[in-house]
Amino acid sequence: MAHEMTKKQALARTIVFGAASAAIYGAIFQFASPITEMFSRGGFYAAMPIATVFLVSYVHGSFASNMWTALGVNAKQPAKTVRPAVTKRPEVRATLSA
Amino acid sequence: MDVALDTLRFIDLTTSSIIFLFIVGFIGGLVSGFIGSGGAFVLTPGMMSLGVPGTVAVASNMCHKFPKALVGAIKRFRYGQVDIKLGLVMAVSAGVGVQFGIKLQRMILDRWGQSGSNLYVSLSFVAVLVLVGGYVFYDAMTADKGGKAKAGATLAQRLQKLEIWPMMTFKTAGVRISMWFTIPVGFATGMLAATIAVGGFVGVPGMIYIIGASGLVASATELVIAFVMGLGGTVNWAMHGMVDIRLTAIILAGSLLGVQLGAIGTTLVKESLIKFVMGSIMLIVAVSRGLAVPKYLAELGLMDVDPGTVALMDKASFLIMCAALTFGAVIIMGSMYKARKANAAEEEREAPVHV
Repeated sequence: MAHEMTKKQALARTIVFGAASAAIYGAIFQFASPITEMFSRGGFYAAMPIATVFLVSYVHGSFASNMWTALGVNAKQPAKTVRPAVTKRPEVRATLSA
Repeated sequence: MDVALDTLRFIDLTTSSIIFLFIVGFIGGLVSGFIGSGGAFVLTPGMMSLGVPGTVAVASNMCHKFPKALVGAIKRFRYGQVDIKLGLVMAVSAGVGVQFGIKLQRMILDRWGQSGSNLYVSLSFVAVLVLVGGYVFYDAMTADKGGKAKAGATLAQRLQKLEIWPMMTFKTAGVRISMWFTIPVGFATGMLAATIAVGGFVGVPGMIYIIGASGLVASATELVIAFVMGLGGTVNWAMHGMVDIRLTAIILAGSLLGVQLGAIGTTLVKESLIKFVMGSIMLIVAVSRGLAVPKYLAELGLMDVDPGTVALMDKASFLIMCAALTFGAVIIMGSMYKARKANAAEEEREAPVHV
């Protein structure tokens, strides 16, 4: 299980992922027209926007997650499983009638 | 490197449109992280109001939806709320539902034209949202004061007792139920997704009231379904070159912040609040879509409506939809703030006192 991250660690990670996220967004918007044109050619070029959003979701998602932790916005009970009562599979047992 | 973009497909971005998309992305993400779906119904018309063509708006929206759902699902999985097996079974049956929904839409389009198709979409929206949303809202309002779910969703419990082969066990949801009750819920989710683009409005209540999962597990599992379906839809749209990566990236910037906050929120507030937010949003959106019905009836020659009134109703419809999302976000953030305050006060009380 992952250990609890301190605010200081979260802040450091926020800065690192924030910088990476800014670099990706900077690249996309610096070359917005050629990228948009290339990504919308269809066919195999479809892999490009999909790969890009996966990359953004990892980098910017990590930034966002660490940012909320650094700001002290944490989940109350991490790893809490909510399990309503399960209806048990009826068991057939051998019985002895003496 | 200067490349001229096809202006028929790709709009010029202004500062105000970037800010608008970022904010709607954030609020949509917040609501999605909390109730499992939402945001899409405002983003597509929102983008279209900026001048984005319908197909590009749908494609770009879908391309932001699946990574957002992935991030939200991972976050909520860490909290033990996601039933991956249930999500995958639902997603596969939803995939079939989508195909059926598309075929039905095409049939209606061929027979009654664009206005007939729009009328069918709006009426489906209103009927499903009023019926399902009304029930979810009623259930949330009658939940016990402790915020716990009621002793049992009776229909789900009765269905779970029916031993019809093949039976399926969903461990995280804590449910054992026949596949024959699981698949129709997924199918309806997909069909609704193909009709009104928000399958979660049937998927989440279906998982709660028919399958018997808790609101927490159902809303978290919906994110798995949204990821699978969103990815499939995006591949299709991207292969036709309809994704505007600029729009997707801006919305994603806001929604990834929102979805994580919404996921954290589910651990802080009462479980019945998920149902309350979902039911309220569904009912407000139903009013919004209801306002669009007279326009399509007029186009089909079934009703006389002044064009000025139609334009006014169109604007009111969009504003009410934005209000639905904002209402959800305000309730979520307000409840999170209150819960955090209460937790802090509790921790202070429990802290040892040094004299």
